[in-house]
Amino acid sequence: MSLAEPAGSRPLLRAEGASFGYGGVAVIAGVDLEVGPGELLGIVGPNGAGKTTLFRGLLGLLPPLSGRLHRCRGAVGYVPQREELDAVYPLSVQEIVHMGGYGRIDGWRRWWRSPGEEERERVATCLDAVGLASASQEPFAALSGGQRQRVLIARALMTEPELLMLDEPTAGVDRSAAREVLELIAAMNRERGMAVLIVAHQLDQVRELAPEVLVVKDSRVVRGASAELLEPKRLDELYGESRPSLEI
Amino acid sequence: MDGLTWTEMFDFFGFAIAATLIAGLVCPLVGTFLLVRRTGFYGIALPQFAATGVAFGFAILPWWQEYMGVGIQSSDLAAGEHIGLNYHLFWASLFTFGALAALLPGRGRGTETARVAAGFALASALTILFVHSSPVGDIYVHELLRGEILAIGLHEFDTLAAVLGVVLVVIVIFHRDLVLVSYDRESAVVLGKRVMGWELLLQVITGATIATGVMTVGPVLLFGLLVIPPFAARSLARSMTGFFVLASSLGVVSAGLGLSISFELDWPLGPAVVVAGALLFLPIQLIASLRRWT
Repeated sequence: MSLAEPAGSRPLLRAEGASFGYGGVAVIAGVDLEVGPGELLGIVGPNGAGKTTLFRGLLGLLPPLSGRLHRCRGAVGYVPQREELDAVYPLSVQEIVHMGGYGRIDGWRRWWRSPGEEERERVATCLDAVGLASASQEPFAALSGGQRQRVLIARALMTEPELLMLDEPTAGVDRSAAREVLELIAAMNRERGMAVLIVAHQLDQVRELAPEVLVVKDSRVVRGASAELLEPKRLDELYGESRPSLEI
Repeated sequence: MDGLTWTEMFDFFGFAIAATLIAGLVCPLVGTFLLVRRTGFYGIALPQFAATGVAFGFAILPWWQEYMGVGIQSSDLAAGEHIGLNYHLFWASLFTFGALAALLPGRGRGTETARVAAGFALASALTILFVHSSPVGDIYVHELLRGEILAIGLHEFDTLAAVLGVVLVVIVIFHRDLVLVSYDRESAVVLGKRVMGWELLLQVITGATIATGVMTVGPVLLFGLLVIPPFAARSLARSMTGFFVLASSLGVVSAGLGLSISFELDWPLGPAVVVAGALLFLPIQLIASLRRWT
């Protein structure tokens, strides 16, 4: 595995010989990786290769089976897959975004200040940043797929993250909405200097968005430039006949 | 109720009326969590386990009196004396929390729904068998299951008000954290929440509500209030806060309407409140449908 130097001095995320898996069985092994401030990395690989396992491991949801993982506490904004969130909860957009601030404030303090002018302003600012300031009172489930994804990004912004981690943010979203979501992510990286780690299935989107990728295959992780690792010949080796289209 | 004015009703049945209204206020709040977590079937199964616990208490009462040396008499249990109530509450809580621990997701084999259904069947059968083996318990448990709660006394009311009061305070203060860990567990972990602790708190308030509710207002009223108001409120709610407020309001209105029906038609109170809740459900569905069309 090649290891590129992080752009900044202090890594936001560092894995040293880490293995991640389930029930004591490693799905991904020997991960050595650093993500520094301002970096934008895509995670790609064939279905079942272990992209999600790697992502969950780096996020801290799976403890490493071996090796070590260092993650700056409180510096990570997480955007889960939209389909995993149950629409039976009648949550408004404002309530969803507000959740992003729960890590900072516990129930007692929130009760005394609730809803808290400062917190309300933060919610409005984060919604404004994703272009949904006018939708704060709308039911989350009533929004389009792309809008919901932007709301989840707004929620992640509530933590004032230095590193944004997104799990397939364009899955199930139509092409124009997906483009808007990706442009928003690129803007966060470019304008706020926020590091981004994004799992994606659409290789064209990754190649367009991320200068570097982590390719997951055969329980290993390879890091390199998108232009190099996502060129057709390398992809044929990686995916075989199941390679997704690279047409944009 | 023949021959009694409304004023006399309040004098005679004040505790029952107050207990029903408190249950109407708090139980739907617990029910909202059961509904959104798609565990509404717990609202039916857990009261049955609590009733099984009460029946078990009656079945082992002779042994308890002989070997434990505690002076509980059958008359204490039937008359709702504190010592009798505590005895019931102990067994109801034990069976409720035991069922919660055994049926939680990730425990045992099979799907959660199948485990709860099998547990419900077993609990129903055991209730009948325990009652059968205790002639004293027969009348009491039958009354409990029928939902005849007008005879609630000060001790039952005290217990219900104290427990549901604590549950209400916990939900008001911590509902956002409880919603977060229920809705998006992974994000809660990333945000540094102690997910297991919040899950445990939710199970404790659910178990406490059900065990105490079964002991005081009975399983019929309890699972009616746990399930119907949240179900009705869901179709109108546009936010989680609105959902809580609407479900709780519908619970209180159902309780008030059920009390009126019970007094006017001389129906048992528990079933009357459940029927009132169901009657409210229909116009709410109509309003929700109209809103969707427009």
